[in-house]
Amino acid sequence: MSRNIPQWLAPTSLQEALALRAQLGDEATVVAGGTFIGILMNQKIMQPQALLSLRNVSELAFIEASQDEGSLLRIGAMTTHRAVERSPLIRQEWPVLASTFSLVASPRVRNQATVGGVLADADYASDPPTLLQALNARVVVRSQKSEREIPVEELIIGYYETSLRPDELLVEVRVPRNRERVVYRKFRSRSSEDRPCVAVAAAQVDGKLRVVVGAVAEKPQYFPEICALAEGETGGYTRELVTEIGQRYAESIEPISDSRGSAAYRRRVIAVEVRRALEEMVP
Amino acid sequence: MSNPRVTGAIRYAQDVEFEGMLHASILRSPYPHARILRVDASAVPDSVVVLTPDDIRDFGSYGCQIQDQTVLPRDRVRFVGDPVLAVAAPTKREADEALNLIDVEYERLPGVFDAVEAVAEGAPLVHEHHAISENDAAYFGIRPQEGTNICHRFRIRHGDMEEGFKQADVVVEETYRTPGAQHAAMEPHASVARWQDGRLEVWTGTQTPFNLRMDLAGIFNIPESQIRIISPPMGGAFGAKTFVRTEAIAACLAQKAGRPVKVVLSRYEEWLTLNRHPATLQVKLGARADGTLVAKRVVCWVDTGAYADCGPGVAQKMGYAAVGPYRIPQVWVDSLCVYTNLPPNGAFRGYGAMQAVWASERTMDILAAKLGMDPLELRLKNVLVDGDQFCTGEIMHDVHFIECLHAAAGTIGWADNKQGKGLCVLMKGMQTPSRASIVVEANDDGSYTVHCATAEMGQGAWHSIRLMAAELLGVELEKVHYAEPDTDIVPYDTRTTSSRSTYMMGRALVEAVRDLKRKGELGYGECVNKGGLDPDTGQGIASTHWHQGAAAAEVRVDEETGKFQVLKLYTSIYAGRVVNRPGAELQNEGSMIMGLGTTLFEEIAFEDGQPANANLSDYNLPAAGDLPESFTSDLFEREGAEVHGLGETALPPVPPAIGNALYSLGIHVTDLPLSAEKVLNAIDSRQQAKGGRA
Ligand SMILES: Cc1cc2nc3c(=O)[nH]c(=O)nc-3n(C[C@H](O)[C@H](O)[C@H](O)COP(=O)(O)OP(=O)(O)OC[C@H]3O[C@@H](n4cnc5c(N)ncnc54)[C@H](O)[C@@H]3O)c2cc1C
Repeated sequence: MSRNIPQWLAPTSLQEALALRAQLGDEATVVAGGTFIGILMNQKIMQPQALLSLRNVSELAFIEASQDEGSLLRIGAMTTHRAVERSPLIRQEWPVLASTFSLVASPRVRNQATVGGVLADADYASDPPTLLQALNARVVVRSQKSEREIPVEELIIGYYETSLRPDELLVEVRVPRNRERVVYRKFRSRSSEDRPCVAVAAAQVDGKLRVVVGAVAEKPQYFPEICALAEGETGGYTRELVTEIGQRYAESIEPISDSRGSAAYRRRVIAVEVRRALEEMVP
Repeated sequence: MSNPRVTGAIRYAQDVEFEGMLHASILRSPYPHARILRVDASAVPDSVVVLTPDDIRDFGSYGCQIQDQTVLPRDRVRFVGDPVLAVAAPTKREADEALNLIDVEYERLPGVFDAVEAVAEGAPLVHEHHAISENDAAYFGIRPQEGTNICHRFRIRHGDMEEGFKQADVVVEETYRTPGAQHAAMEPHASVARWQDGRLEVWTGTQTPFNLRMDLAGIFNIPESQIRIISPPMGGAFGAKTFVRTEAIAACLAQKAGRPVKVVLSRYEEWLTLNRHPATLQVKLGARADGTLVAKRVVCWVDTGAYADCGPGVAQKMGYAAVGPYRIPQVWVDSLCVYTNLPPNGAFRGYGAMQAVWASERTMDILAAKLGMDPLELRLKNVLVDGDQFCTGEIMHDVHFIECLHAAAGTIGWADNKQGKGLCVLMKGMQTPSRASIVVEANDDGSYTVHCATAEMGQGAWHSIRLMAAELLGVELEKVHYAEPDTDIVPYDTRTTSSRSTYMMGRALVEAVRDLKRKGELGYGECVNKGGLDPDTGQGIASTHWHQGAAAAEVRVDEETGKFQVLKLYTSIYAGRVVNRPGAELQNEGSMIMGLGTTLFEEIAFEDGQPANANLSDYNLPAAGDLPESFTSDLFEREGAEVHGLGETALPPVPPAIGNALYSLGIHVTDLPLSAEKVLNAIDSRQQAKGGRA
C-alpha cells in the first residue's frame, strides 16, 4: 500500500475552515505554523491523509484589547509568537507576555509558530501555556454549531492531549489585564535556545496568588491550596513563606525525567525556581 | 566579489542532476544486533531497483583501516541503522514508499553498547573474526586481539612505569568519560554515481577522494584508474565526510539500474552514519613533592561502533595525546579500539585529542591541588620545550606551549585571583606519514589554475591555497583559479584531514611554482612527511609538525541549580605563519564553539543501542546565545616560521579549561558534558566532603 501525498486544504475563512472540520474531523490534521506538525511528519511519527491549513484564515490573526469586559486582551489563534513579542500594545500593557513569547526557540521558529499552535499541541515542555494559565487566560473554541470559552487548564489535559473535539478549532486566547507584578522564569538546563527544563509563572489574580509550574509533568501544575499560604500577606512575602511554597510545590509534583533533567533534579530546581519567582514578584 | 556560499551559487554534490537519474533510499536495521533470516522485496514495483545482500555477495569488503564492512551486511546487522537493502526509484518519494513494501525477518542477538563492557569476558562479539587491513589509510600496523572486540591495540612503552611510580611522592588516579557526538554539518552526506563505458564516476562531498577511490576499486574489483571521484565544495564536514559513506550504495545501485543514482541522507540518518568516538580514559599520574612529573599510566577504551572505520587511528592519537605535552620519563599507555553495537564512530574535529586532553588536563589540576601547587606553575615546570624528548622518543622542535599558556593565564587575570578560572594546554599531532602533491598550470590568458585534491568544506582551504599561489607566482589573487578536485586530473593527496592541507599543500605548492618557472606550462610539486609509530611500543615519529595551543575559561555557577555561565573563553594558538587571517580566526572561533557544545550539552543518547535523541531538537547544538560575553583567541606567529595547521586546535582545550574552572571552586566532574545536573551533584559531594572534614 502506498502512502499518498497528504491532501492540502487551505480555506480562506473561518466559516469554511469550520465546515471542513465538521466534515472531516480527525481525517484532516489542522496546521497552523507547522513547526510542530512538520517535525512529527518528518520523523514519520505522523502521516496524515489530509492537512487543513489555517494559514489563509486571516481573520484569526489579530491582537486587540477591549476596553469593556474589564479590559481583556484578545489574541487570534493564528497570531505568530513574533507578532505577540513585538506588539506595542502587548509590550506596553502585558509586558511579561511579550517577554515570555520572546523566550521561545529562535526567531526563525517564532516567525512561524502560532499562539493557537503552542496551546493546541499541548507539548509539556512549552513556555506560553504555563504563563497563560497563571494569568487565568481562557481560550475560545468554536465548531460550526457552537462556541465555548474554557480556561487554559481545561484545554491542556495531558501529554500532547487537549479537550478539543474533532470538529472544533481554537480561535482565540483571552487574557485578563493584570496590574500586579507577574513573573515568568524559564530555567533551561542546556542551550539558550532549548525548551524549558522547569518553567515557573507567578501572578496575583483578583488578589490571589497563582503559581504555575510547567515542563515538569504532563501539563502545567497549579496548586491553589499551596498558593493559599500566601493569603493575607500584604506588603511582601517573608523568606520563610516563599521557601515553603517552593518546597511544597517540589513535594507535590511528580516530575518527569527527560534529556533536560532527571525527576530528582527537577524536584530540586522547582523548589529553587518557585522561591526565586516569588522573591522577584515582591521585591 | 559575491561569495557563492552566500548567494547559493555553489553546486553541492546533492545538486548534481542527470537525465534519467534515480533516487535512493536505504532500508536500515531497527535492531542493534540481529541475524537477517529472510528478505522479501517481491512486492516492490518493477519501476524500483532493489539492491539486496545477494547482489553484493561477490563484491569485496571495504574499510579505510580494517576491511570489515560490505556494501550491505551479508547476513548480520550490527547497529540500529545498518543498511539492509537499498532501493532506487525515479523520485525520492517512490523510493521511500518502496521501503514500506519490503519484509525482513530478523533473529535478534545480544548486543553490547559500551567499550569497557565490550572487552569484558563473555561479551557478545560484534565480529566473529577480525578482518584484514591492507589499505592506504592503514598507516601503521593494526593489532586486532583475536576472540575479543578489540580491533586494534596501540601501546606506548617508554621507560619503566612501575619504577617511576616508586619515585612519586604524590599519585593521583581518575577515570573520565566522554560521550558520542554528531558532526551536524549543515549539508548532509550526498553522492551521485554513474557508470560510463565500464568506468565509475562519483560526485560526492568527500574529504578523502583518493581513499574512497581505493575502497571502491576493492569493492568492484576494478583498477583505480577505472574510477573517477569528483569532490564539489561541501557544506561542512568536520571529519564526517571521510572514506566510504553513501558512495558504495550509490555505485552498486547505479550499476544494477544502468542509470545514475543519487543518495542524500536525512538528518536522522546522519546519526546512523558517523559519530564521534565515546571514550573512557583511566589516568594515573605521579609527581615528586616539588611537582616534577615522574610517571604516567593511561588506558583508553575507544568505542568505534560496529565497524572500525578510522577508529584504530583515533585510538593511536588518543593514546599519545593523553600523555600530554610534558616531560615524563616513565610512560605506559594501552589504547584499545573496541567494537560495539553502536553506529560507526570516526574522524571528528580533534580526532581523539579532545577525549585525551579532557582526561589528561583535568588530571593535572587534581595533581596540582594535591601538591598544593598553582596549576599554571605545575604546567610550566613540566611542559615540553625545544629539544625535549616526547614519550614517543621524538625530539620536539618549534615548541610554543609556554607562550600559549602565559597568554591564556593573562587573559583571565590568573595572577590576581584563580577562583572560577581554569587553564588547559594542548598538543595535537598531524597525519604522519602522508603525502601531498599539486600541479600549477599556466593558462594562455596569463592566469593560472591550481589542481590538487584538497577539499573545500567551508574551512577556506581553496582560498588559502590561491592566496599562497598568488604570492609565489607574484600575481593578483584573481589570476589564480582553483579547479574542483577530480581524481582523473589532480595528483595524489592523502586526504583533507588533520589540519594538514595549508601546511602540506603549501609546501608542495612552493615546489610546483619553482617547477613551473623552470618549465613554463605545468609545474608539479610534492611534499612527503615520513614517520609513524610502532603500534606495540609507541616509539617513532608521531607527527612531523605539532598543533599547539592553550585555553582559559572563567565561569560563574548558580550553586542552587548547578547551571553555570561561561563568562570568558579564550584560546591561544600557535600558527607559525598565518596565510589568511580572517579565515584562521574563524577556524578558531568555530572550533571553540564546537568545543563549547561538547563541554556544555552535546551527547548522543542511546537506549539499548537505539539512538534516543537523533534530531536537532532533542540534541542541542550551541546557539549564538550560548557564547560567552568575552570570547576571544590569539594566533601566534614567528618570523620565518612555517605554516602550522589550525583547523582543529582550538576545540580540544575548551572542555578541560571549563572543567578546571569549575574544579577551582571545588566542583569536580569527570564525565562530559558538564550538565547542570552533574554540576549540582558535584556541588553536593563537595559539601559532603567539607562536612566530613569538619
Ligand atoms: C526548534 C524548536 C524549538 C522550540 N522551542 C520552544 C520553546 O523553547 N518553548 C516553547 O514553548 N515552545 C518551543 N517550541 C514549540 C513551538 O512553540 C511550537 O512548535 C509552536 O508553537 C506550534 O505552533 P504552530 O503554529 O507551528 O503549530 P502547528 O505545528 O501548526 O500545530 C501544532 C498542533 O496544534 C494543532 N493546532 C494548531 N492550531 C490549531 C487551532 N487553531 N485549532 C486547533 N488545533 C490547532 C495542530 O493540529 C497540531 O496538532 C519549539 C519548536 C521548535 C521547532
